[in-house]
Amino acid sequence: MIKFGKGNLRVPRLERPVYVVAGGLTDFRKFYPEKQTSELCLEAVRMAVEEGLCMAPQDFRELVNFCIYSQFADHFGDQLLAAAKIHDYLGLDPLGNIEVKTGGATGGSSVLAGIMAIASGYASLVPVIGWERMDEVSTAQGNAYIASAACKDFESELGWLYSTYYALMMQRYLHEYNPERTTLAKIAQKNHGYSRFSPYSQLPGDYSLEEILETKIVSDPLTFLECCVMSVGAACLILADEETAFQLTDRPVLVNGVGAGSHTLRTADRRDMPILLLPHEDPSLYSDRENEWPGFTSFLAARFAAYLAYHMAGIKNPVDDLDLLETHDAFTVSDIQTYEDIGLRPYGQGADFIESGDAYFEGRLPTNLSGGLLGSMHAVGATGIFQLVEIFWQLRNEWKKFHADDNHWQWFGKTKPQDFQNLQVKNAHRGMAVSHAGTGSHVTCTILERGW
Amino acid sequence: MEKKRTKVVLTPDESIQLVKELFKQNVPENSWVRPNPRSITHYHTYGNLTPFFKGLTQAKLFGTRCRSCTTGIWLPPRAHCPDCWKEMEWVEVNTEGARVYTHSMTQYPGAGFKGSVPCPLISVEIPGVCTKFMSYLSEFRDGEPYINMPVRPVFRTKNPTYTILDISWVVIA
Repeated sequence: MIKFGKGNLRVPRLERPVYVVAGGLTDFRKFYPEKQTSELCLEAVRMAVEEGLCMAPQDFRELVNFCIYSQFADHFGDQLLAAAKIHDYLGLDPLGNIEVKTGGATGGSSVLAGIMAIASGYASLVPVIGWERMDEVSTAQGNAYIASAACKDFESELGWLYSTYYALMMQRYLHEYNPERTTLAKIAQKNHGYSRFSPYSQLPGDYSLEEILETKIVSDPLTFLECCVMSVGAACLILADEETAFQLTDRPVLVNGVGAGSHTLRTADRRDMPILLLPHEDPSLYSDRENEWPGFTSFLAARFAAYLAYHMAGIKNPVDDLDLLETHDAFTVSDIQTYEDIGLRPYGQGADFIESGDAYFEGRLPTNLSGGLLGSMHAVGATGIFQLVEIFWQLRNEWKKFHADDNHWQWFGKTKPQDFQNLQVKNAHRGMAVSHAGTGSHVTCTILERGW
Repeated sequence: MEKKRTKVVLTPDESIQLVKELFKQNVPENSWVRPNPRSITHYHTYGNLTPFFKGLTQAKLFGTRCRSCTTGIWLPPRAHCPDCWKEMEWVEVNTEGARVYTHSMTQYPGAGFKGSVPCPLISVEIPGVCTKFMSYLSEFRDGEPYINMPVRPVFRTKNPTYTILDISWVVIA
């Protein structure tokens, strides 16, 4: 679709307010033989209910009326209707439930489905539960499964590897905008670094830029440390209507805006079109632009989702109006592309979001303090939920409760680093998560803010 | 008369052993990990895209074009125009002026990749085509590929794979 009609750009509206009341996570690992998938999901829900809401499971269960399940690929779990097994394991029968699938954005889309369920009045308390079990097959087979989410006729056979599809974008990005190569490595350094302060993280590391750029190349120019991890783990976010939310907590977090976008599964098929402008962008901004848009350097789906979410939430300028951000940093290059798509900087200037310091803790818009997909996790169906759990904790000033407690580190068999840093953003009122699939086939932007 | 009792007989695969190590990590003693081997063949139709794949085996590159819309040639082809949903027509693509739009040397492909590595994957920009065609260079030397490198297609007409790998590109010297 190149020309928008008025129906396409209609700003979404929730018929009644929707709140987040709790979140829970497991830790994330490359290989997790100690626990089955249903056990991991139970542990994530249990954290949300027992540690978050301070409720007994029986009391919580009495209030639930619908459930959303989030898993990327049946291939990985090798269990069709895994959601039914998990729903049963949680003792939630005979409540209705659905499983959502939109690739890497499955978590974001599942939360959107939960928001719709509450906003429409269909439900009043909805757990959204996501997971992925990526350790039943070798890494090479895992990459092939992931590349099954590219076009099997015209793309998958060409490498069976998503890193290559992003590397094609990266070469083009470097060609069109010529950023410093080290700026991209700084994204990996930042997120691996922040993941050191998370008991949930899979690949923490205090890496130098040289180490990041000199590790093995997966598909040039992307190095191993610039590509996301493959994980096992689960995440849970609990949504409620206003009455239920304030019954369960005096500090619920409000869903302020949510947008979903899409674009062709094949990067190849993206036709040149005029740039869709965000609320703070003047039409003159791109009048001299010669590069195609979105081409291989931008994600129309991300821009479209941000357009809807910003208009819905009344965001005039995301860097000023948001206090923290979680992006889908599957690759360093996709992160810098996303900064531009969601309007943190104009197209071609995404590097400045890093170089200015804005993206760092205590910067103007701290990004991926969770450690993101590069450092902490990419258990695909859990990822978009994980991002919102981390934002939820930040907005409630609970980052320390869920990251600094020695009990959490011990539970996951880890030791807190000696130089542990408190990453709680002071007075965080509003945050956004970007959930992203394919080479930008689906994107959701979800904005949460303090609701009390 | 006593009814005959029938026994159920299992035919276990004796090659199956519990796994002791995966991902360079030992499996904890208290968690059993059992291999579940698979060998499955899917039978996939190319449907109305069959002329494209057939064309590759005859050293021809076909795209599709909408008779009503003016978008240009679609490559990969689609049977239907995404704008007006009418059936499109087949046209042979003139690859004169084709250039590398972007590229990456893949080093660690996923399972099932049929090529040798490193393998230079490319997206090709072709005048008159509204898309960027993903493919690979079947020959390369140091410094290749590079953006804007002029290329021409070559076809695997002998022993075709009947996949998109039957077309690749080489530099125009």
